Amino acid sequence: MTGRRQNSLGIGSVDWSSVLIYVALVVIGWLNIYAAVYDESHASIFDVSQRYGMQMIWIGVSAFVAIAILLIDDKYYHMLAYPFYWGAILMLIAVLFVGKEVHGAKSWIVLGPVALQPTELVKFTTALALARYMSTYTFSIHRFSSIVRMFAIIVLPALIIMLQNDTGSAMVYGAFLFVLYREGFNGWIYVALIMALLLFIFSFLLTPEALLALLVLACVVSEGISNGRWRSKIIYVASVALSTLVLYFGLNLLLHGRLTVYASLLISVLLSLVLVVVYAYRQRLRNVYMYVGLFLASLLFTSTIDYVFNEVLQVHQQKRILDTLGLESDLKGWGYNVNQSKIAIGSGGFFGKGFLGGTQTKFNFVPEQSTDFIFCTVGEEWGFLGTLIVTSLFALLILRLMKMGERQQEPFGRIYCYSVAAIFFFHVMVNIGMTIGLMPVIGIPLPFFSYGGSSLVAFTILFFVAVKLDAGKRESLIDQ
Amino acid sequence: MVIGVFALIILRLFYIQVIDGSYKDRADDNVLRYEVQYPPRGEVYDRNGEFLVQSKDVYDLMVVPRDVTPFDTAMLCGIVGVPIEKFRAELQKAERYSRRRASVVLKQLPKEVKVKLEERSFPGFYTVYRTIRSYPRKIAGNLLGYVSEVDERAIARDSYYRSGDYIGKSGIELAYENVLRGDKGVKVNLVDVHGIVKGSYQNGIYDTLAVPGTAITCSIDARLQALGEELLAGKVGSIVAIEPATGEILVMASSPTYDPDELVGRESGNNYMKLLRNPRSPLFNRAVMSRYPPGSTFKIVNGLIGLQEGVLRPQDTYPCHRGYTIGRGVKCHEHWSPLNLIDAVQTSCNAYFCYVLRNILDNPKYGSVKRGFDVWADYVRSFGYGRKLDSDFLDELNGYVPSSEFYDDRYNGRWNSLTVISLSIGQGELGCTPLQMANLAATVANRGHYFIPHVVKRIHDRDSLDARFYEPHFTKVESKYFDPIVEGMYRAVHKPGGTASIARVDGLDICGKTGTAQNPHGADHSTFMCFAPRNNPKIAVSVYVENGRFGATVAAPIASLIVEQYLTDTITRPQLVDYVKNMQIAYPYYDRKKTK
Repeated sequence: MTGRRQNSLGIGSVDWSSVLIYVALVVIGWLNIYAAVYDESHASIFDVSQRYGMQMIWIGVSAFVAIAILLIDDKYYHMLAYPFYWGAILMLIAVLFVGKEVHGAKSWIVLGPVALQPTELVKFTTALALARYMSTYTFSIHRFSSIVRMFAIIVLPALIIMLQNDTGSAMVYGAFLFVLYREGFNGWIYVALIMALLLFIFSFLLTPEALLALLVLACVVSEGISNGRWRSKIIYVASVALSTLVLYFGLNLLLHGRLTVYASLLISVLLSLVLVVVYAYRQRLRNVYMYVGLFLASLLFTSTIDYVFNEVLQVHQQKRILDTLGLESDLKGWGYNVNQSKIAIGSGGFFGKGFLGGTQTKFNFVPEQSTDFIFCTVGEEWGFLGTLIVTSLFALLILRLMKMGERQQEPFGRIYCYSVAAIFFFHVMVNIGMTIGLMPVIGIPLPFFSYGGSSLVAFTILFFVAVKLDAGKRESLIDQ
Repeated sequence: MVIGVFALIILRLFYIQVIDGSYKDRADDNVLRYEVQYPPRGEVYDRNGEFLVQSKDVYDLMVVPRDVTPFDTAMLCGIVGVPIEKFRAELQKAERYSRRRASVVLKQLPKEVKVKLEERSFPGFYTVYRTIRSYPRKIAGNLLGYVSEVDERAIARDSYYRSGDYIGKSGIELAYENVLRGDKGVKVNLVDVHGIVKGSYQNGIYDTLAVPGTAITCSIDARLQALGEELLAGKVGSIVAIEPATGEILVMASSPTYDPDELVGRESGNNYMKLLRNPRSPLFNRAVMSRYPPGSTFKIVNGLIGLQEGVLRPQDTYPCHRGYTIGRGVKCHEHWSPLNLIDAVQTSCNAYFCYVLRNILDNPKYGSVKRGFDVWADYVRSFGYGRKLDSDFLDELNGYVPSSEFYDDRYNGRWNSLTVISLSIGQGELGCTPLQMANLAATVANRGHYFIPHVVKRIHDRDSLDARFYEPHFTKVESKYFDPIVEGMYRAVHKPGGTASIARVDGLDICGKTGTAQNPHGADHSTFMCFAPRNNPKIAVSVYVENGRFGATVAAPIASLIVEQYLTDTITRPQLVDYVKNMQIAYPYYDRKKTK
């Protein structure tokens, strides 16, 4: 650490290609907001009574913030990580009481002419706090107490945001799981999560008996992969199938058809588990117990899905999930947004309809067009070429952020950069995914594109702090 | 992971943007609204350039309920002339249909009302241009036909039509629908999510202007038609007049008729039902649809067939003492005897034509009456009987000429020339439309050929009509055999003992043949066919008055007046006009139906 660095901006050490991508995204975003709310009576892009005019002001604010961040010494972020974190938490709590409700989410603070969404800033403070905590010497990602604290830092803001009824923004904190993976968090947890997700999806797409059969087969096959002895697997599957048939057709003679296929299969599988355990004991195959456990856990999980789906999720959330899975189609109701959004993007073709030429965009067929569904405007007016460029820019930006993380020497900077990359990744994946029907509708903004000062400034802060940390490290390398 | 997810997103984008084309159509469905531009319907003139049908500009009042701001209902209703309650009911109906889409509130408002509405400006209301029919002379209702909104069947048959369009339903309006209707244009507008028009699509390059319908000049002579309808008033029957040299129909009157204006506008539905319920069926175009026994006018056809077949020479005489006495016999009236062919036409002798018909049917050349009958029927059909004449008038019906099989069926194969003797004098199973009878008059006028009768003289954007109207159709009787018949018809009008002296107009050389047709519905039908002048005839007429008794009683005077009006443009016998107009004919057959 030399005194010389404190006063220098370090122009040469800033990752200018990343900044260039940032500028490109912000400018393209601004043009698209202009197109989305374009109205011939307010044709000037600088008209501040319109959203594009306001966005221009926010771009100015962001530029100021960005320059300020590049000028301020980066040691303060490490120092102030916790105060920032707690300050932000207090602000979140304050919003719960004095906030203004918009679209059912009580997440806005109104200060005179401007309305702020503290939620956006909390991502930044949480990333800082997490980086700070995980870079302490006493922290170990394999120790239980560390893991609890680590999760507490992530979950606390998410919980408060849930209380504000802004589930979408709360889900962003799931992005930190990517960071934890990079930091060596237990891989099995991710496997379990992915499996749970798959089970969740399959539980909607398949009938109960098919799901059960699939589970059994999956367990048998993975056991077979680890232990071999395929003949016994085949015998096992065949006998389960046979006993199911016997149960279904035989027992039903006595029960007058009250036994369903599912029940017959379940009974025969559960009964077979006794034999499996005996087999495992005799053959001394420990891992078979694990597979039995996994099977039973999955069974338990699927049986709770229905309950969670129907009782915990709100109606609009249920509908959005069913719509994405293609199980329900209500183009005039719940599915309207996504359908119109797909029409807008799909009708763009390869080259698009041209700037200000999008009919879906211009005539307001897509709701929330300048905010959550801004990507429709890109798709409709700039076509596949435009969406390809925009998604590629985002992908490049995220990859650059990950690279910045990798070239950090200290965990603090690495964790922070990865957090920023993860947050961007989550936002872009979910937002673009929902506009093309790959994801259920979750109302979170597309970074740098969606209209809104809070989110633009917050994403700018997130990004430039990463750039600054990176520049600092590179400069110190140069110094040495 | 990052690259995988982005690759997935890009693949998906590529699929919906480049591969799957359906989104483009759906975006168009969202944003494009096709607004129909209605063309004015073609107008119809008579042969002298007088309007028979005019197109009148009207405006339908439309409403888009969500754009309506509070307005002075009383004032609006005052302008359009509709009771407030009725107007409110229409508005509610529109609202129930859609708040954002336009519905028709009131149809066919005159231009003055439209202008007043625009002066006041009622937001949410606007007018759409349409044309409706108007009939300056109020004549020829059945001939011109009427126009009304298309029904589901017409829409299913022809994709041109959309609900709410107008279409010709009968008469010329139906027959020349494709000429008169023009072509609708379309204006492609862009609308926003609320259905509000935001401008023209692509600066209107896909817009088309409405092409106005083409005007038609009818072959009808409006003044002659008006006179015919006047003379037929109060009677049931019809008049058809044809220009023999062209086949152009000069008059086609069917009585009772109606004021064609009644089938236009808001009351048209009610009026239509009223006409439909009228026991005398004013909507039934008797001139081309009814199947009358031709009566004695048909003797001419039998005479001509006899001459051509060689079983009759003009100088052949037959005796007649109040009738033909063989078999059941056919009665006749008082006249001299024996008489030749010319005398028989002049006096309309029944017995003479009984001999003629039997000679035709029993001609040993054909071996049997059946074969003989088939030959006779072929001749009759060559005169245009028993089938549609293929005119340009779609309402035309066939009439009826029996075949030998018909009699085989009826008499179990046991019949002879005496069984069908009534055919000799145009009675029995024969059924003819007045158009066919007029066509016979034209055929005799032309000495053996006719042109297909038609009502349209010229379609304004075309050089000629269909080729079939310019071809002469020859009967199977040679021209030279017509002379004695024409002589007989001349004498019937001009010589003592003729049946149609009442039709005589000095200098016009009218040749005519009366008919008195027995029928099961009461008094005999009065019929008369004629042409004039004798040489180079200009007009052929057939008049048929149901229950008018003798041919000379009413049909002959009417035909005579029509000929005189057409050839001289004057009426010299006002007392004959009064006589025809004042004639009271009872129609118990029709009017009895009313009480049922």
